[in-house]
Amino acid sequence: MSPRPTEVLGVAPSLGSLYAKAAGARVRAMLPGSKPDGGGLPMVEHHLEALDIDAAHLVAYQRLMGDTVRDELPSVFVHGLAFPVAMSVLVRKDFPLPLLGMVHLANKVKHLRPISPRATLSVTAYATGLREHRAGTALDVVAEVREGKELVWRGVSTYLARGVWQGPKPGSTAEPRAAFAAPVRTASWKLAADTGRAYAAVMGDYNPIHLWAASAKALGMKRAIAHGMYLAGRALAGAAPHGDGYDWDIEFATPVLLPSTVEVSFRDHATGTAFSGWGARSNKPHFSGNITVNDEAGAQG
Amino acid sequence: MSDKSPAIRPAVIIGGNRIPFARSNGAYSKASNQDMLTAALDGLIARFGLQGQRIGAVAAGAVLKHSKDFNLVRECVLGTSLSAHTPAYDVQMACATGMEAIGSLANKIKLGQIDSGIGGGVDTTSDAPIAVSEGLREMLMELNRARSTGAKLKALSKFRPRDLAPNAPGTGEPRTGLSMGDHQAITTKAWNITREAQDELALASHKNLAAAYERNFFDDLITPFAGVAQDTNMRADSTLEKLASLKPAFGKNLGAEATMTAGNSTPLTDGASTVLLGSEEYARANDLPMLANFVDFEAAAVDFVHGAEGLLMAPTHAVARILERNNLTLQDFDFYEIHEAFAGTVLSTLAAWEDADFCKNKLGLDAALGSIDRTKLNVNGSSLAAGHPFAATGGRIVATLAKMLHEKGSGRGLVSVCAAGGQGVVAIVEAR
Repeated sequence: MSPRPTEVLGVAPSLGSLYAKAAGARVRAMLPGSKPDGGGLPMVEHHLEALDIDAAHLVAYQRLMGDTVRDELPSVFVHGLAFPVAMSVLVRKDFPLPLLGMVHLANKVKHLRPISPRATLSVTAYATGLREHRAGTALDVVAEVREGKELVWRGVSTYLARGVWQGPKPGSTAEPRAAFAAPVRTASWKLAADTGRAYAAVMGDYNPIHLWAASAKALGMKRAIAHGMYLAGRALAGAAPHGDGYDWDIEFATPVLLPSTVEVSFRDHATGTAFSGWGARSNKPHFSGNITVNDEAGAQG
Repeated sequence: MSDKSPAIRPAVIIGGNRIPFARSNGAYSKASNQDMLTAALDGLIARFGLQGQRIGAVAAGAVLKHSKDFNLVRECVLGTSLSAHTPAYDVQMACATGMEAIGSLANKIKLGQIDSGIGGGVDTTSDAPIAVSEGLREMLMELNRARSTGAKLKALSKFRPRDLAPNAPGTGEPRTGLSMGDHQAITTKAWNITREAQDELALASHKNLAAAYERNFFDDLITPFAGVAQDTNMRADSTLEKLASLKPAFGKNLGAEATMTAGNSTPLTDGASTVLLGSEEYARANDLPMLANFVDFEAAAVDFVHGAEGLLMAPTHAVARILERNNLTLQDFDFYEIHEAFAGTVLSTLAAWEDADFCKNKLGLDAALGSIDRTKLNVNGSSLAAGHPFAATGGRIVATLAKMLHEKGSGRGLVSVCAAGGQGVVAIVEAR
């Protein structure tokens, strides 16, 4: 159990108002003399008692990912349900880093068992692990989803506030990136310019960095970039098991600028499936990850 | 086994008929699947005097099918002079449709359920179904369900101009987004198949097919259609130089290592084929020829989605199993009909059978299946020259092989047809 005091949210926060709040914070942060608060992470967890699981959204999500419409919540869909609660921690006044423009580095998820779309789920989220990263300051946001008292899903999302250091800026510690050798592709995803808008329409994540070239440019990107969770969702639709629990993780290397073609490799191994994606034109790695079937499930299989 | 179970009897290939295959958007661009399959059936009926007969079953199919063609084969039968009492059904197993249709009819004949059957297939990419976009389709379905004016207006309000863009069918694998050629390019490279070897196989296909036409081999296998008497893709005058001059069409992501061109890959093609099968009793009673026995067939499927196997390599697995079941070796055949989806497919298949690791680890055998005598491979040409109207290829191969075996008077032939979805069907045919 977390020692953090719990703040119970009355209603699910809307991502739109959270982004508005974050944008305000960003404007304030750009004012002269402003700098990161320098404090630690808020020692609090946010809790929402009953998640709203919309059947039409679930179908829209499954269609968008090319998944089969079935009576189980996809793991990335659960992430999307919990995301507003996690975000609400990051837009707190006492949260020390600017949210907007923050980079999504990785996710590590335990999907402990199949979750019914009709389950009553609660979410608890908190931030932890504030640490220095060669490119800024990183932290983890943990979201735990329970049905009753039973933990059914636990996700750790790692974010980076690029170019933000709480102490003095460290000297150049950038490790030279090893040359990328693309594996044999087994799939190819042609992502249209509206991929970010399509994901936002389904999951409600209207972060402007994903929507339009213009809104992404305002946040320092050349064009709109795909949601990391969209990429994770596509990967899981391709290889996640059904009827069992599983662990999965994903690390993001370079963003997927929209539109573009992502070459993808799925490779089965003894305990699950490894996957990775890279740019068809750029040949730069975009993401890599792994799906591991739970031990019990493995024994059955 | 009860004593009452019927004895298995031979299923005999009596003959076949197809229309010449035509390159997409060419001679048959106005012909529908129903037109072409009916034409192929008409020719078969005329050749074997089947007018007014009640055939046990007609099984065929098309890979690309309009939704209005839900009962395509029965509709074709009703348009022929076969008895209206002839049952018919549609089969769909991608490029293995024809083989599955013919094989399942052979099984029914062997079991004594039917005495005669016509198997085959048809496809057109010129008269292909085009679907409306998902957005427009969903809007129309909602409009259809709406009862009140308000609900109807709400449904209509969801229309977006971009929804007007239609969805044309492609040869892409739904789960991977890669075209069949791009999938084969992965396999071709994995087996180190050279550009030269692929071009040589393609050239041999054209030369062999042209030579077969030259000696009138196809006279009793083909009925002209829409003014076409020969497969329009055939290039009797092709040369290695011409083939070598073509630019890569698939696996372009491999850059300089890309080897697959329009010349060593099958083009999109329109056409139809049929094969008449029967019991020995049926053939004798109707005074029909008996070219060969359809001995056995086997389907296989592989996991190409997660990289375990190449998309078109399932026949390597099916052949291992059918050989074992029939107590044969890969060398026990006089003819090999390996469908040339791509030259790389045939050459990768042969390389895999020669590879001890592959045969041990993937096929579960003790040793490699070994090499085949290449002079016995696709001796009257195959899909690279004739073209490949997906569902029609099985019927083309079975009828051609049965005639070759009958001409030889003895021996055995092996058929191997790969299919989308990581599937394949193989078969053994024996002369008589």
